[in-house]
Amino acid sequence: MELKSYDKYRMSFAPPTTSVKLVLLGEAAVGKSSLVLRFVSNDFQENKEPTIGAAFLTQKCTIGERTIKYEIWDTAGQERFASLAPMYYRNAQAALVVYDITKPASFIKARHWVKELHEQASKDITIALVGNKHDLVEDDNDGDDSSLRKVSIEEGQKLADEEGLLFFETSAKTAYNVNEVFVGIGSKIPEAPLLKPQQPQATDGRIDLSTGTAPAADGCAC
Amino acid sequence: MAFFDALKERAVLTINQVFDKGNDSGLSKAQLFCIEHRIPDDETVIDELAAEVGVYSEYNKDAYKEKMGVSQGRIFLTQRFLIFSDAYDKRNCSFTIHLSTIKKVERVPTTDYAFALAIGTHSRIKLSFFLVGMRSESEKFAHNLKLALRANLKNIAKLQPFIQTCYSEYLLAKNKVSSEKVDEIPSGGLGLEFKFPGNAKELRDKSKMKLWFDLFKADGRNLSIVKTPMFHRLVRVGLPNRLRGEIWELCCGSMYLRLENVGLYQQLLDENKEKNSLAIEEIEKDLNRSLPEYAAYQSPEGIERLRNVLTAYSWKNPEVGYCQAMNIVTAALLIYMSEEQAFWCLHMICDRIVPGYYSKTMYGTLLDQRVFESLVQDTMPMLWEHITKYDIQLSVVSLPWFLSLFLSSMPLVYAFRILDVFFLQGPKTLFQVALAILKLNGEELLKVEDDGSFISLIKDYFHSLEQSAHPNSPNQKYRTITKFQELLVTAFKEFSIINEAVLNKHRVKHRNTIFLNISTFVKRTELRNLPKVKNIDQPTLGNIYDRYYSIVESNVTVGSGSSVMDFEGFRIFMSQICTWVNENDDNPFLRRLMNHWDSEGQKALTLSDLVVGLNKLIEPDLMEAMSNFFSLYDDKKNGKLDREHILQVSEDLLYITTPWKDAWELDRITEDAIENAIADEIVKRKAEKGEKSGDIEISSEIEIDKPKLENQQIERYLSAASTFIQRAFEYAQPEEEEALIKELAVDNKISHNAALDPSTPTYLNLPTFRMVVLADETYELLFSNTLRNSIRPEKPLDEKFDTMRNLKDMFDGLLADGRKVANKVRKRMDSAASSAINNQNQSLNHQSESSSLKSGKSKIQEEDEERDDDFGVISIDEKDKDLLLGAESHVVINTPDQATAVPKTQSSASTSTTKDGEKQPDGNLIEFET
Repeated sequence: MELKSYDKYRMSFAPPTTSVKLVLLGEAAVGKSSLVLRFVSNDFQENKEPTIGAAFLTQKCTIGERTIKYEIWDTAGQERFASLAPMYYRNAQAALVVYDITKPASFIKARHWVKELHEQASKDITIALVGNKHDLVEDDNDGDDSSLRKVSIEEGQKLADEEGLLFFETSAKTAYNVNEVFVGIGSKIPEAPLLKPQQPQATDGRIDLSTGTAPAADGCAC
Repeated sequence: MAFFDALKERAVLTINQVFDKGNDSGLSKAQLFCIEHRIPDDETVIDELAAEVGVYSEYNKDAYKEKMGVSQGRIFLTQRFLIFSDAYDKRNCSFTIHLSTIKKVERVPTTDYAFALAIGTHSRIKLSFFLVGMRSESEKFAHNLKLALRANLKNIAKLQPFIQTCYSEYLLAKNKVSSEKVDEIPSGGLGLEFKFPGNAKELRDKSKMKLWFDLFKADGRNLSIVKTPMFHRLVRVGLPNRLRGEIWELCCGSMYLRLENVGLYQQLLDENKEKNSLAIEEIEKDLNRSLPEYAAYQSPEGIERLRNVLTAYSWKNPEVGYCQAMNIVTAALLIYMSEEQAFWCLHMICDRIVPGYYSKTMYGTLLDQRVFESLVQDTMPMLWEHITKYDIQLSVVSLPWFLSLFLSSMPLVYAFRILDVFFLQGPKTLFQVALAILKLNGEELLKVEDDGSFISLIKDYFHSLEQSAHPNSPNQKYRTITKFQELLVTAFKEFSIINEAVLNKHRVKHRNTIFLNISTFVKRTELRNLPKVKNIDQPTLGNIYDRYYSIVESNVTVGSGSSVMDFEGFRIFMSQICTWVNENDDNPFLRRLMNHWDSEGQKALTLSDLVVGLNKLIEPDLMEAMSNFFSLYDDKKNGKLDREHILQVSEDLLYITTPWKDAWELDRITEDAIENAIADEIVKRKAEKGEKSGDIEISSEIEIDKPKLENQQIERYLSAASTFIQRAFEYAQPEEEEALIKELAVDNKISHNAALDPSTPTYLNLPTFRMVVLADETYELLFSNTLRNSIRPEKPLDEKFDTMRNLKDMFDGLLADGRKVANKVRKRMDSAASSAINNQNQSLNHQSESSSLKSGKSKIQEEDEERDDDFGVISIDEKDKDLLLGAESHVVINTPDQATAVPKTQSSASTSTTKDGEKQPDGNLIEFET
């Protein structure tokens, strides 16, 4: 949890802003970067270049009284980039594990990511499972065999229930459910650390949610 | 799974390569030579000499003599090349001339002491060599050159078609300054059709072209070019569009590969036309996502070329296959190069210039990012401190620079300028430019406090590269210098100190850490993907993994592409964890296990096979253990073992039980007997002393007849074996008469003869097998306890097994015995509980004062556990042994909970000598020190 100096200044006047480090994981071409682009710029781009390594973006999101500033780490999806992922999910408080509802393999990959996060990431990380590309199946009729959908809502929900994840189906293209993901994550981020900074002792940037890594330095000059 | 196998394999391979090579860079001298001169890997130096070289052509007769005179350096002859490099600075003069282009070699009349050769090439330049050194050596060189030229004659036919593909030849032919006939524009990049990026006029493309035209006339071209300072200068100012592809392939050396392997590219595409692969799926995902703004990649033609090159490469080098970022690099190459040119150039980038960048573990990328960080730390300590303080992830900006060669970060025109230098000067270019970027933005970067601002600052910088670096300078000349020019000057002047040697030094320093991280990651992933097994816990799986790869690694031949364990490896594996397997055993039982576990029928085991198999072998449930064992022999999967198989079972049981049969391991029945003997003795002595209660002190003088007990065990095992085979055949039944089971079981006389008669096929089914086993206490114990405890997959790799085995004999078994003995004594003693409790308190106090960590440990093991649970106690150093014994010198045993006693065996001789039956007197003693 990082608090910028201006946040601290603002705290006494306005609802505090919480910075939340969020990482996106999932197979290549499931739409991670597109989800971010939709959330950050409300835009969509066909044929977006693949993310090389990782990309970083920020966006604020207001949930009731709170304002959350998401620091979004968007990672490369190709399998071989997986060994870079720990670099980006370390200290993350939230994660979106994204799959493509028309690609069963991407759902298997999502399962792996959830396991990896449970084993390696911060203990209290909030994870949302996101089935993207809903636009490809929105005209589906029930029982339509020609449907592009290959991963059912039930399967997604089941995995989410088993692993204690939030679950959404989205479309970065049509903006369907995208904001809901970030709002959902935001409301699950514990509020407790938010109140603590008001006590001077706790504002030295050591409200460390991580497991054993060096504390993130921040701009709080206490 | 398959992916992680490959990943693992790649890491293993790389580590092998690194450790096999003696020198820093991990490459042999011959390889380094080929890399330095950009020639194919299979070239070797035939001869070399010091030489002075002069270059002449009809266009530079006067000019050159004046400008450069002669260059001093070293000349090398390889199978297909004549190579020269200036001794002081390679940039003064160097060449890599293909022997096919040499038209004429003459000896030049000279004075006595000098030996000179004049060489004429197809590009009509003339080189003169003054060979320095002993005349005989010079003669030898000339002779070798003659031989090499003769051997190369067969390659000359390739030259004509090849020069038709070179734009330089077309340029000269069109302007009639060449004797070659090149009528058609050689096939080139997509730029010819879809326009080249940038404004040709602003880039002064025409003037650049003219300069190259002049250079080609004077210094030769493509396969016979002499690289002069002008060559380097012209590369630096940016290559003209139409020549860019050719100069790139010339600089990186992919031109020589293309010449050598004419047609291979098309062949790869044709041969693999209908095939599919993971790489191809991945490529398809990215085809529309590669430089999508460039017109050609919005057209089917551009996409098709990109698909072809990436696909062909994935077949050429399946170990790399396809990595994201290769699409961007290839898309960029294809703007200036034909498919075949781009293919070989990509090959050169992935395999030689930046090896490991795109590999399955991306170890090269990870390593170079670490190297980059440490260079930042060395060259810009303030900035580094700042970055560290604010926990800014440098790699999030720098990784794409390296991986996509700046093509996804900078505007294309500038990225191509950097690429020009990159092909000429190699990977150090990436570091120099990257450092210069940080340096030039240093002041601003010091104000940045989070990743977001860091990234956007750099992004803004890249978009301002065309702007003036000094907009407010009064000097007009300074005002016209762009930020990009400033970047290049900073990169190549200020950071010229970052050369290959510096990079290698840093790479060596960080290599192990990087590989360790990768292997940790790979291990974690692979373990997670293993099938669920109930009898093996996570730490044990980790140890199995380590042992598996310690063995497989040593068996993997470089490039074999296999990470499975063959029988050889399996035998070694089992010998390390099982008491009954010797490393050299070629035992049918091991073969049977292996065949049974080999799920893919590849005569080898994957890690998953091994884990699943072991899990069955150490099954704790007696019934299931027997049924697992039975199914090993049920080859027909019909639940019946025929005569042959019954014999095999009995032989294998004999093999497995060797350690107990030969009495160098004791089973629980024998242990029990020893304990009883000791307990009896103690009780007897107490009775003699008239003690009725109080401390149970295990006296050191207690002697038991160990050889006798061992002999009993040996006999018991031999008898179990013969009883087994006898009963198995007694109870085996003819196939048709299953109804008779009960009858036969009762009346064994009838079946006896029938079973032994080979003409009547009889079978043993699972229930009967179980019955036969259970009828014998030794074999029953084998399946319920002995076998399972003789297999120790949990054993960490770094522990020496032999020491373990001895220590186990000395301590492990007897520690447990001591405790059990105490229990037995206690049972035998009809003592009052109250006085025992008093003494127990005393003993506890005493123990905590004098005990070591080890003794504490043995105390913890209160319950009557299985022997394998005492495992931790075994790992006592030889030198700690006395400590342990000393600490236990006053062990007092009262209640089962606190009961502990450390026995001391006189020497390990007792175990080793019993094998051959010759027993030393003190080996027979088991003493309990007081």
